[in-house]
Amino acid sequence: MPSHPLRVAVVCSSNQNRSMEAHNILSKRGFDVRSFGTGTHVKLPGPAPDKPNVYDFKTTYEQMYSDLVRKDKELYTQNGILHMLERNKRIKTRPERFQSCKDQFDLVITCEERVYDQVLEELNSREQETYQPVHVINVDIQDNHEEATLGAFLICELCQCIQHTDDMENEIDELLQEFEEKSSRPFLHTVCFY
Amino acid sequence: MASGSERTGVASQFFAGTEDAAIDMTTSEKVVDLLNQAAFMSTDDKLIALKQVQELIINKDPSLLDNFLDEMIAFQTDKSIEVRKFVIGFIEEACKRDSELLLKLIANLNMLNQCFSPWQKTLAVCGVGVTPAVFDSLRQWLVRSKSVSDMQEACWDMVTQMKGDVLALLDSDNDGVRTHAIKFTEALIITLSARTPSSEIPKKQEGDISLDKIPKDHSYIRYDVLAEEGKSALEQLLKFMVHPAISSINLTTALGSLATLARQRPMFMSEVVQAYETLHANLPPTLAKSQVSSVRKNLKLHLVAVLRHPSSLDYHSQISTLLLDLGMAQGDIARCVPTSAPTRKRPRHEPYNEGKRIKMEPTLIEDDEDKEEPAPVVAPKPSSSMGTQSAIDITAEFLLPLLSPENVANLVLISMVYLPDIMPASFQATYTPVESAGTEAQIKHLARLMATQMTAAGLGPGLEQCRGRDEEGKEAEGEAAGDEAASKDPIIIRKVSAVSLGQAISVVGAYKSQVAEETPHAKKLPEPIMPSAQPNSGRKKVFRLADVVQPLSDSHLEKLTNMAVKRILQSEKAIARSGMSHVRVKLLARLMTQFEGTMKDDMLRFILEDIRGRSDLAFSLLYQEYNQHLDQLPSGSLDSYEHCLFTLLSGLQERPEQRDGLFTKLVLEAPLITQSALEVIRRYCEDEVRSTVIYITSELILKRPSRQFQYLHVLLDLSSHEKEKVRSTALTFIKRMYEKDHLRDYIEKFALNYMQLLVHPNPPSLLFGVGEDTEVASPWTEETVRQCLYLYLSLLPLNHRLVHELAAVYTEAIADIKRSVLRVIEQPIRGMGMNSPDLLLLVENCPKGAETLVTRCLHILTDKVPPSPDLVERVRDLYHKRVPDVRFLIPVINGLEKKEVIQALPKLIKLNPIVVKEVFNRLLGTQHSEGSSSMSPLTPGELLIALHNIDSTKCDMKSIIKATNLCFGEKNVYTSEVLAVVMQQLMEQNPLPMLLMRTVIQSLTMYPRLGGFVMNVLSRLILKQVWKYPKVWEGFVKCCQRTKPQSYSVLLQLPPSQLAGVFERCPEMREPLLQHVRSFTPHQQAHIPSSIMAILEVNSRMQESQPEPEHMDTMEEREVKNSTQLNLWICIQCTKFDPWQVEELEDEARATPVPLEKADEPVEEAFTDSASPREQAQEAAEDSNAEPEPGAEAAE
Repeated sequence: MPSHPLRVAVVCSSNQNRSMEAHNILSKRGFDVRSFGTGTHVKLPGPAPDKPNVYDFKTTYEQMYSDLVRKDKELYTQNGILHMLERNKRIKTRPERFQSCKDQFDLVITCEERVYDQVLEELNSREQETYQPVHVINVDIQDNHEEATLGAFLICELCQCIQHTDDMENEIDELLQEFEEKSSRPFLHTVCFY
Repeated sequence: MASGSERTGVASQFFAGTEDAAIDMTTSEKVVDLLNQAAFMSTDDKLIALKQVQELIINKDPSLLDNFLDEMIAFQTDKSIEVRKFVIGFIEEACKRDSELLLKLIANLNMLNQCFSPWQKTLAVCGVGVTPAVFDSLRQWLVRSKSVSDMQEACWDMVTQMKGDVLALLDSDNDGVRTHAIKFTEALIITLSARTPSSEIPKKQEGDISLDKIPKDHSYIRYDVLAEEGKSALEQLLKFMVHPAISSINLTTALGSLATLARQRPMFMSEVVQAYETLHANLPPTLAKSQVSSVRKNLKLHLVAVLRHPSSLDYHSQISTLLLDLGMAQGDIARCVPTSAPTRKRPRHEPYNEGKRIKMEPTLIEDDEDKEEPAPVVAPKPSSSMGTQSAIDITAEFLLPLLSPENVANLVLISMVYLPDIMPASFQATYTPVESAGTEAQIKHLARLMATQMTAAGLGPGLEQCRGRDEEGKEAEGEAAGDEAASKDPIIIRKVSAVSLGQAISVVGAYKSQVAEETPHAKKLPEPIMPSAQPNSGRKKVFRLADVVQPLSDSHLEKLTNMAVKRILQSEKAIARSGMSHVRVKLLARLMTQFEGTMKDDMLRFILEDIRGRSDLAFSLLYQEYNQHLDQLPSGSLDSYEHCLFTLLSGLQERPEQRDGLFTKLVLEAPLITQSALEVIRRYCEDEVRSTVIYITSELILKRPSRQFQYLHVLLDLSSHEKEKVRSTALTFIKRMYEKDHLRDYIEKFALNYMQLLVHPNPPSLLFGVGEDTEVASPWTEETVRQCLYLYLSLLPLNHRLVHELAAVYTEAIADIKRSVLRVIEQPIRGMGMNSPDLLLLVENCPKGAETLVTRCLHILTDKVPPSPDLVERVRDLYHKRVPDVRFLIPVINGLEKKEVIQALPKLIKLNPIVVKEVFNRLLGTQHSEGSSSMSPLTPGELLIALHNIDSTKCDMKSIIKATNLCFGEKNVYTSEVLAVVMQQLMEQNPLPMLLMRTVIQSLTMYPRLGGFVMNVLSRLILKQVWKYPKVWEGFVKCCQRTKPQSYSVLLQLPPSQLAGVFERCPEMREPLLQHVRSFTPHQQAHIPSSIMAILEVNSRMQESQPEPEHMDTMEEREVKNSTQLNLWICIQCTKFDPWQVEELEDEARATPVPLEKADEPVEEAFTDSASPREQAQEAAEDSNAEPEPGAEAAE
């Protein structure tokens, strides 16, 4: 078992729903966790599918919250966005972009294949320095509240299993295979180096 | 503490003169303090403290480093691995800071690594990450210091040794260690190869060492040797990558490393692209589906990265083909190609060539000092990488014209045979439909793919040509080396020749094992035989055998024997042609039984490869083994024979394509069936597809009586198998066996034992497979219950006596089991038939607790056919003498006498509605399609009459009404004629049945054309003084009301007081009747008695003068009133049930699924009054408004 708690990063597209849900649960379980988005902007559902609310990564959750309250309080209360932002601002002040973070992790968990690709591209485009491995695992989660919750628990279970391995590097391959069978969903997995 | 202060002293002394003492004191003091504390801390705190020290002495104040080095290094003997890991990290940092330190530290590092060896894993995880860096600093330092001391040399050796150790870790058992080893290899290759202008150089590593920084004339480090090392490391990496069982993680790591290599050292581009190509065509079969997609994703990513590098220009076509295969769009690929590529074309050639030369022609490097200068292209390029490259090219060119549609079709057909049964995950993931099939480009691509595969398998013209060329090249190289050598110093000559020699071997060896691991094996195997087989010849001596021959060593002897036998085995075809195959078979069989060891297994495997063609060999071997066993009797063991039989049988069993014939033959002709063989047979039988083989066991039972019970047991076991097909086949054969007297007892006992299991509260573990570890408390399920009964039930029709056992078990079993039993007995009971004496006996005895079972049997028996008199007799006996449960009678009801049925009716109609329905179906003959209504003891009319005549003290009115409703529901049976007869008969009874009028009204509703008949009935009822029966009278009035104006003539026949009673009930009738009378001719009017007229006109008179009614209060009026009261009283007192009540009827309509509602509703509507005086009033009010409509009562 590694002596330090796993440094986990959970990454989704906008660092709002899926990654934050997982962030929430993982931090409650004592993981050293951070969450990120890979998109160029932070997007939240708007009044119509083609009219999302777009923010940049500098906007705080608080600002988004008050912006949405101003726009249509009822709509955003009803579709749970305000509730989500409320939760998010309790966790941290603003969304973070994965590409802008140079910190190192042991484990990066992505929430959809597109994000996985972006993370891999980012990690591979960095210059190698330390030969410190980082495992990138993709767990497909649909972007809605229910799936986010379910997905967060799955991620949490996965992290706990990995944390409890005697030798993560050696066992992770098999562990993921087992997990795949158990949860009957495929995980993309690869290893990158910082 | 003493040592601590001493240290402080040293530190302060050292720095006092040079730097500001105050600041320095605090830093060094702090360090001392931390170190002191750390010595006594727990591991975690210690690490924190040590990290602080590291920060202080390396970054904050590097001058302290030298001072505290020893103290820090002292922690390498710490118990905790974590701390030791830290020390390694510290050494790395320290060396980066000051490479001179390396001299001191390298020994420590090595020692650390060595003392880690028990935890090799940990060594690699930390050591591998660190070592490249150490290497770098070491080399930097070695490069800079021109003079070489012994110390430095020793240090260099140690590093080299460590490098070897780490490289060996590529074969570690630990996945993670391998991953790091790959990364180490990557770093090593990069360090040990020259940087070129087109190399991508990460900014941070700008200053890192690489081969080009090493002066060629360095006294100790040899440029060419290092280049060689780098090259061989790459080979090792490539070899590692094609390992078929490589893990997904290692593979992705290796892919990444290759991409890095290709970008940073473009001279390796060819190898990298080739490795990618090979990998894509041969994804390791061990990968799971998701891993395949991960690997493909990685491959794509790295290919794009490589594609972006300008040096990849030559390989663009290959890379884009790969990317297309990986599902990338053409447009996206084009976007990744660097635009400046064409302009870079010339410089690109240069490093490429140079790379070649570095690798392959180390001798030439000597006179090519200036790397920047474009090298002249060497005409023959005998390089190994080029060789492999062109081997594929040549083979592809060779294949291209051969790929005619016909040939391709043939290839496809042939390869169909070798396709696996299940689509491998890698194929499934990688398969993309061929879009451009048949085009030139696609054929070229196909040729290339095939060429890759062929080259990998060591086939094809390209490979042969290359091999030839390689050898030529090497000769030329040797000559060149010789020429060169003359002008160079002797040391280099020695080195070079050694290198070129090693190269010659390593190139061929590595090349072969990299691309075709199998071929060398196949080719090498026969080689060692040759010299040993050759006799020593050429001695001129008197020939004496003893001199010439020496006893062979055991192992040699064995080897020779093996080979001899193998040759006989392999010479199958040749001997068959000569017609002596029977001798070969005999020989082999005899030989085999004499030898122990693996030879037998080899032979069995050989037989199984083509069991059909080699069955004679199999049999003779088997008999020979048995013979051997008999020879050694009584002491001899059967092991060898058993092993032989077992292997053959299970070999057959494992071959799905094998038909059953051979298996059967083997089993039936084997001289002896051993226990393990029996197990195989059993397993074979359990295979659903081949369950017909079960007949083998029956054959065995019959033909090998000495062990027949063993075989029988297997068969019996199969009879409760969970697979239906296996079971049914087994049962068929058991039934056949059952006919044999000597087996019967055994089968019967087995079946009964099995059934007896049902008595247990939980299913015994016997029922579950041997391997399954089920908890004791698992409850019975339908499945397990059936399992216990299959055999028994199939025997039951053959031996009726067994039925009593079932009854005995049944009484003891729990409810769930009873239910299951009732469900499964249908088929066998029907098979037994109602004439079975044992079944009759069961009915007669009917053990206590088995009533439901008996009833179920009766139902099954009489379901399709009428009961036999015998059966009726038994049931009747049972009913009268022992169990007076009327339900027994239902199945045989049609066999009973009329009187009995009528007697039982009150009880029958009180049963559950569904049961009542069934009874009626039976009685009315509406149950069976054959319609054996003639069998019923009662005609439909009689039944309805009987219902009316049920004594209301025996049965409540509710049930009777429900029963009559059932009758009315059968419109086909109760036609208007039948109903007319019924009414006629009911009316003639005295007293009148209470439900008479209800039936009349209901009949009328069903058949309105009965109206005339009903009027007739009503008139006749008047003659019978219907008003004396309050219920009937009530109905009478209702009926009149419904049938007006037809009923007017009937009403006029009533005596005046009764007519008044009618009007009291429904006053609205009076006026129309009056009108009706007034419409009469005066002559007709004269016939109406004046008293009647008076009553008819009473109301109009009442309206004129109020006191009249009081005057009209005649005796008859009173009588009517009394009768109403009486009526109510009857309702309350004697029945507690009001036959006219709506809700009840509605309930019933809901309870019975028969579609009665339609016929009923109007009737019920008609009867909704008299529930209470209040309701009556309400009803009257409503009636006056409108004729009642269906659904109006719903509002009420």
